[in-house]
Amino acid sequence: MLKADKDIYDAVIIGAGLSGLVCGCYLAKAGMKVLIAEQHYKPGGYCTSFKRHGFTFDAAAHSFGGYRENGIVKKVFVDLGIDKRVQINRFDPSDIITAPDCEVSFWDDVDDTVRDFQKAFPDESNNIRVFFNFLIENNPQSFARLRNWTFKNLLDEYIKNDKLKSILSFPLLGNGGLPPSRMSAFIGARLFIEFLLDGGYYPKGGMQELPNILTTRFKELGGTLRLSSLVTKIVIDDNTVKGVVLEKEGVIPSEYVISNCDARQTFLKLLGREKLSQEFLEKLSNMTPSLSMFVLYLGIDKNCKTLPKAGSNIWHMPHYDIEKMYLSANLRNTSNVAEYMVRVSPDGQTVLAFINAAFRDRIYWNRHKKDLLDVLIKHIERQTIPGLSEHIQYKDAATPYTMYRYTMNEEGAAYGWASTPAQFADPDLRRPSCMKGLFLTGHWATQGMGIPGVAYLGYDMANYILKKKKIPVVN
Amino acid sequence: MIANVEKEIVSIISDVSGFDENEITSEKNFFKDLEVDSIKAIEITVAIEKKFKVSVRDEDVPKITTVKEAVELVNNLLKQKNSVNVKS
Repeated sequence: MLKADKDIYDAVIIGAGLSGLVCGCYLAKAGMKVLIAEQHYKPGGYCTSFKRHGFTFDAAAHSFGGYRENGIVKKVFVDLGIDKRVQINRFDPSDIITAPDCEVSFWDDVDDTVRDFQKAFPDESNNIRVFFNFLIENNPQSFARLRNWTFKNLLDEYIKNDKLKSILSFPLLGNGGLPPSRMSAFIGARLFIEFLLDGGYYPKGGMQELPNILTTRFKELGGTLRLSSLVTKIVIDDNTVKGVVLEKEGVIPSEYVISNCDARQTFLKLLGREKLSQEFLEKLSNMTPSLSMFVLYLGIDKNCKTLPKAGSNIWHMPHYDIEKMYLSANLRNTSNVAEYMVRVSPDGQTVLAFINAAFRDRIYWNRHKKDLLDVLIKHIERQTIPGLSEHIQYKDAATPYTMYRYTMNEEGAAYGWASTPAQFADPDLRRPSCMKGLFLTGHWATQGMGIPGVAYLGYDMANYILKKKKIPVVN
Repeated sequence: MIANVEKEIVSIISDVSGFDENEITSEKNFFKDLEVDSIKAIEITVAIEKKFKVSVRDEDVPKITTVKEAVELVNNLLKQKNSVNVKS
């Protein structure tokens, strides 16, 4: 059966996560005919919001970074002409770490942040300055040198004090799911820059605004978005992409397919094992996804006087052993909760708390979700928000299984592949040489995580395709 | 053999950067001319290691800034590898 021309696309993007949306906007802006197919009924992936009992909750992503003048998210929004369409506020401080012996904050002015750290660790004053300078300079050549390093190697090069090293690593466990001994120095440094030194941004109206604005822009640029539209197959012929199969609509022909969804599903399920080399299959089966997370959502009445400043992430650090925190997260249960990140949302009406947790199936979480939720509330009440439980009007939580159910990320992985040096920057994963016309974008592409990371990948992937097609980029 | 190394490296840089092979001449600077950033510099290194079965030392990664330098480095690494093979 021949398809009408209107159903033939230059590019189909699987998944309307932020990376897919950014990529789609750039391609559409350059004049390509683009379809984005998203299995969920709303766009955004991990960057969505939902309403319950009159409260609006951010589902997972709760603030973002990279929005200074030279920040990648800023660049993308300016390029796409949407920077004026949404009010982006920055919360100052963006993050506060409460360690056993001190408290340090990440301020809008990096010099203030440096001073905070220097005050807590006067003996390391110079080292702190040099370390932060290295991060701020962000020199591509000196960053490229970090390729095989762990974040621990990087800290050891600059910092002596073990407690300080732990404090510098703790928010990276929360934002990247690995302790310093396992995390790639490159990714750790990027997270540090984009989440902490230039983090804390929030769109007025909630995180859902980001995918919503991108979606509106994508459609204005001539793009087509299909929600509740599951892709069941990537069609190929002679190692060349020919299109996709949508569950409800059948075959959609396309020259390019860009997968913004889970990597193993892309290759094993949508493409098919038989289409891949033994070497590629082995690589894929040896790779490890990142940890998932457990997120607490609380709707709070107006009389709670003990709430911390809205919009700041508060990192409760009960001890300095980050390795132990990581091991606990892998065996997450009601008796090993200790560290957490908690924040009052900018509207002041909800409280979100996050802990790292390994994947377990629905049966496990049906049994344990409520207990873990209550344990976490007790910890927060004791350490950060006295009297919290008296002001809760609504409570719920998302488990690693919930993360999987809504986004189809393997094992509810919060950050794509685990960001180890061994799994970092494999060029054959985001531009698989075995399949012409297939590309990956988003946090499974091995190069980036968080909103700045995936925005970069969406932008870069689009640029790459336009270069190959010799279509000029219009800004 | 040297001509082949250059050809392979140009092909890797084209795959990573999106630039056409004929635009990637030997004096082109990765960072200034070919829009290579830190991530792509690492991707180029990873691809070179895989293609030539060599290992590039961390401190040499920042030194690869032109096609010419990349070719010189790979040729040196291949020489070292071959001499080790002969000895063993």
